[in-house]
Amino acid sequence: MTTTHHATDETLMRYAAGTLAAAPAIVVKAHLASCPACRARVGEYEALGGALLEETEPTQMSATALNDVLAMLDEEDAPVSFAPPPLAPVEIEGIRLPDALRGCDIGRWRWIGPGMKMSRVGVPQDPDANLILLKVGPGRALPDHGHVGTEFTYIVSGSFSDRFGRFLPGDLAEMDEDVEHQPIVDKDGECICLAAMEGKMRFKNVIGRMLQPIFGI
Amino acid sequence: VQQPPSPDALVEMMLKVAQARDRQAFALLFRYFGPKLKTFFLRWTMSSLVAEDLVQETMLTVWRKASYFDADRAGVATWIFTVARNIRIDHLRRHRDPSALPPDPETAMDTVEDGMLGAERDAAVRDALTVLSSEQQTIIRLSYFSEKSQTEIADELGIPLGTVKSRTRLAMNRLRALLEDKS
Ligand SMILES: [Zn+2]
Ligand SMILES: [Zn+2]
Repeated sequence: MTTTHHATDETLMRYAAGTLAAAPAIVVKAHLASCPACRARVGEYEALGGALLEETEPTQMSATALNDVLAMLDEEDAPVSFAPPPLAPVEIEGIRLPDALRGCDIGRWRWIGPGMKMSRVGVPQDPDANLILLKVGPGRALPDHGHVGTEFTYIVSGSFSDRFGRFLPGDLAEMDEDVEHQPIVDKDGECICLAAMEGKMRFKNVIGRMLQPIFGI
Repeated sequence: VQQPPSPDALVEMMLKVAQARDRQAFALLFRYFGPKLKTFFLRWTMSSLVAEDLVQETMLTVWRKASYFDADRAGVATWIFTVARNIRIDHLRRHRDPSALPPDPETAMDTVEDGMLGAERDAAVRDALTVLSSEQQTIIRLSYFSEKSQTEIADELGIPLGTVKSRTRLAMNRLRALLEDKS
């Protein structure tokens, strides 16, 4: 998989720092699984976190803190071993989805317009998360829209193009607020993508506005 | 004043904990990282009581998951940082939704492919950090110790968003150049 569209440095740093919200973090994690370059950067940003931790001034702990923890160790079982049991792949109606969605509550495909289906993804750690799967038919355009916050889209299968280029499986599209675009799915097949919104989507046209209550995003 | 343990000494302590379940080595790690972790949690505006609880939880996780520590991937400080980061995220989620699922058991460490050993990279990053200007360091610290977006950081520092973006980018580029020199 040749990835041409990546997460921004700010996003990777927030991912490493643990300050990215749950839904965008899942989308970024899906991209990381297929992108060694971004993984390496996350490693660097985690090392930066380690360096910041080490240069942090100490704050005195209570006198009993260490002994309390040592006492808790007595109740510990054997250490966690390597080799966790193999996990079943994550899928929706037979279509393999990124492992980053493990543990999420994936709804059924619902018709939301001609050639367009959506599945809402529940994130157990964050009930307010805006995370959806979209399945759009070949040659179809998504509603023209802008964004209130950043939109993160990971391409699971198929491809789409907008004024920023062509997006292929494994790619991550990160669209800033005040960017407007109209993705059109390439003609050679349907496109499935995983999208997270930090804020709400802003649709421009009437159909888009009608869709908004259905999307709930 | 006691010298802080070297990165290699920290790795040795971690391996003793992982392989021999060595409590003395664990106590050394606790004495060194515990008070720093407490400051880390306090920066997230937690009470002293909660901060100490989370330090204990972090160090217990270090004990439990010691076998996952891989010196090739990350230095000890980096690994403990990622454990503390995940504990903080889980704490926030529990706080918001008490019925939320237990924390993801998976370790968050991702493979790193720049050819440097974990402890070497930790040392390189620490050196690089001291080379940054104090303005760059402030922005990096705010990014790691607060939930603030770049827009909010700009508001807090009273500088334009573009300046925050360019300072962050300069800091990251500087850091990357310094790291590439070493590897
Ligand atoms: Zn990438
Ligand atoms: Zn969009």
